[in-house]
Amino acid sequence: MKASYRMSLLDLLRTALRSVSANKLRAALTMLGVVIGVASVIAMLALGNGARAAVDATFQSLGANQIQIGQRFTMQDGELQPTGKTLTFSDGLDMLTSVPLIERVEMSASKTVKARFGKNTVEINVTGTTADALDGIVSSGDVQPVGWNSDAPISAESLLADGRFFSTDEVFAGAPVCVLGYQTALDLFSGDNPIGETIWIDRTRCLVIGVAVELESTDVQQRYRSDPNEGLLMPISTVIQTLYDEEPSVYMVVHAKDAERIDEAKEQIKEYLRARHQIEQDADGNYQDDFDMTTRNDILGQQQEAAQTFSLLLTAMATVSLLVGGIGIMNVMMVSVTERTREIGVRLAVGAKQKDIVSQFLLESILISASGGLAGIVLGILAIPLAAALNQGVALLYPGSIPLAFGVAVLIGIVFGLYPAIRAARLDPIEALRYE
Amino acid sequence: MSEPVIRSEKLTRTYSMGESVITALREADLTIHAGEFIALMGASGSGKSTLLNLLGLLDRATSGEYFLEGKPVSSLRRDELADLRGRRIGFIFQNFNLLPRLSAWENVALPLAYRKGEFAVQDQIDRAREALTRVHLENRAEHNPMELSGGERQRVAIARALITQPAVILADEPTGNLDSKTGVEILRLLKELNEEGRTIIVVTHDMNVAQYAGRVYHMLDGTLYESELPHVAA
Repeated sequence: MKASYRMSLLDLLRTALRSVSANKLRAALTMLGVVIGVASVIAMLALGNGARAAVDATFQSLGANQIQIGQRFTMQDGELQPTGKTLTFSDGLDMLTSVPLIERVEMSASKTVKARFGKNTVEINVTGTTADALDGIVSSGDVQPVGWNSDAPISAESLLADGRFFSTDEVFAGAPVCVLGYQTALDLFSGDNPIGETIWIDRTRCLVIGVAVELESTDVQQRYRSDPNEGLLMPISTVIQTLYDEEPSVYMVVHAKDAERIDEAKEQIKEYLRARHQIEQDADGNYQDDFDMTTRNDILGQQQEAAQTFSLLLTAMATVSLLVGGIGIMNVMMVSVTERTREIGVRLAVGAKQKDIVSQFLLESILISASGGLAGIVLGILAIPLAAALNQGVALLYPGSIPLAFGVAVLIGIVFGLYPAIRAARLDPIEALRYE
Repeated sequence: MSEPVIRSEKLTRTYSMGESVITALREADLTIHAGEFIALMGASGSGKSTLLNLLGLLDRATSGEYFLEGKPVSSLRRDELADLRGRRIGFIFQNFNLLPRLSAWENVALPLAYRKGEFAVQDQIDRAREALTRVHLENRAEHNPMELSGGERQRVAIARALITQPAVILADEPTGNLDSKTGVEILRLLKELNEEGRTIIVVTHDMNVAQYAGRVYHMLDGTLYESELPHVAA
C-alpha cells in the first residue's frame, strides 16, 4: 500500500515535469526572478561570511587586550596631513609609568633608507622598534617561518636564523646595532655571514647583530603584496636619533593588563595624552585629539558596518527579485490553469479530489521555483568573486546559504503557486469540461 | 426486483439569472436498472445535459433526491462526490476529452491514479491494457491521442470509462464528432458492452442512436418523458 502511494507521488512529479517541460522557454523566463533572487541571497551571505572571516583574521593580529595608537591624520588641501603634536617616543616611555592599567608599550617608527655594504646598496625600509619587537611579531600572527607547521607555536627565538636581537639596554642607549631581514642579508652580503660586520645606513654606521629566518605571510592573499624578508630592524631610539632630522611620530601597540578593562585603559591613555599634548576642551565641550586609538572592537564595528551596508543592498535586491519572481510564477500558473481548464475538468470527472488538483499545480510551481533556485545557487556562487571585488575583497561562500537559498526558492513556489492551484481545484467540473 | 442503479425522485435543477429563475430540470422521476441501455433524447436546451450532469455527480440538484445504487447523494460533500464519481461513474464525451500529453494507456489508467493506495503502478498498467484490449486498441497503448483517429480516441475514452467497472456509463453525444461509419462502430461497441452487463445511458439527439437502446427517455423544456421506442414512433 505504502509503495503505491509513493508511486503516485512520483506520478504527480512526472506529470508536473511533463507539463513544465512542454513550455520550456516560458518556464525558463519565469524562473529568472527566482534565479536572480537566490543568487543575491548566496552573494549576500557570502559577503556577511567574508566580513566575519576578515574580522576573525583581525582578531588574530590585534589581541583582545591591545590598543593601537597613532598620530591622527586629517584631510587638508586634498592631502592627508598629521594633526597637532607628534606622538613621540617619550610619550610612549612615560605612558608605561603614568597609565596604571597598561603593562607594555611596543613602539615602532619606519623610514625608507639606503643600506650599503661594500659595493652592494639596497633601498629598504628600516623599522625602529623596542626590544620586545619579536614578541610583537609572534603575537600578531601575521608572519611565520617558511614551511612552518601551523600547529606548533612560534617562539621569538625561532624567528632568528643567526645572532641575537637587541636588548632593552641597547634601546635605551640608542646603540648602533641592527637585525637584517633574510632577503636584505642576501642582497648585501651575497651569502657571506653578516654577523659582526658593519653596514652603512644612510650616513650612519651600524653593527649587524642578527639575521632573521625566511618568513612568509600567514595570509596567503597578502604574500604577493609585501615581502616580510626585506628590511631591517634597529632600536627605535637609534632610528629617531640618527635617521631623522626632527622627532618622528611613532606607532604604538599598548597592552592593557586586563582585556576586560580595555575601555578603561583607553580612557586613561586618552586623559594622559590630552594632558601631555595640552589638548583643551573647546567651546562646544569637545576635544580635538591629535591621536587615534583602535581596539579589536573598533575594527569589528567598522567591518560589520561596511558589510551591513552592502548586505542591506543585496537583501533589498534579493527581496525585490524574489517577489517579482514569485509574482511571475503566479502569473504563469494562472495562465497554465486557464489553458488547462478542460484537463482539470477531465481529472475532476474521473474522480480527482480538490487536494489532488492543488498538489498537481503546486508541484508544478515548486518545480519551476526550485529549478530557478538551483540555477540561482550556481549563479550566486559564480558571482561571489564579483561581490568580493565590490566589497573590498571580502566574500566567502557560506555553506549554509545553499540549503537556505533552496528552501527560500521552494517556499516562493509554494506561496505564489498556492492561489492558482486553489483556483484550479475550485473550478466547476461542468464549466471546466465545457471550456473551449 | 433488485435495487435500481439509478433512481430519482422529483429531481429539479434551477438557475438564477439575475431576477429570473430558469428551471432546467423539473421534477424528473427516473428509474434505471442494472444492465439497461437507455437513450436520453431531446433538442439542445431541453435539459438533457443538466440531467446527465446530475446523474454523473458533476452537479447538485436544487431539490428532489437522486439515489445512486440506493444511496442518496444530496448530502455528500464535494470530495465525497468526486470519490463516488471516480468509482461508480464512467464518462464518455462528445469531444473525447483525452489528456494530450498522456499516452493512451495513461489516459485509461487516470481514474485509478486518483484512488490513492489502491492500485500499484503495475496493476494500473495491467488493467489499462486489459481495458484497451476490450476496445481492440491493445497495440495503441503507447500512442498519444494526437496520433490516433477519432474513432480510436473515442475507444480510448470508452476504455477509460470501463476501467473502474462503474455502476453506469454516461455517454454524452459519443458519436457527435465522428463520421457515420465510425459512429456506428462506437455504438456497436457500446451495445456489446451493454450485452456484457454494463448499464449505459447515452445522451443524443440522433434518432439512429436510440435504435440501440432498450428504453428511450425524452426531454422537452426541462420535463422528462418516457417515450415509445423511436422506430415504433417513427
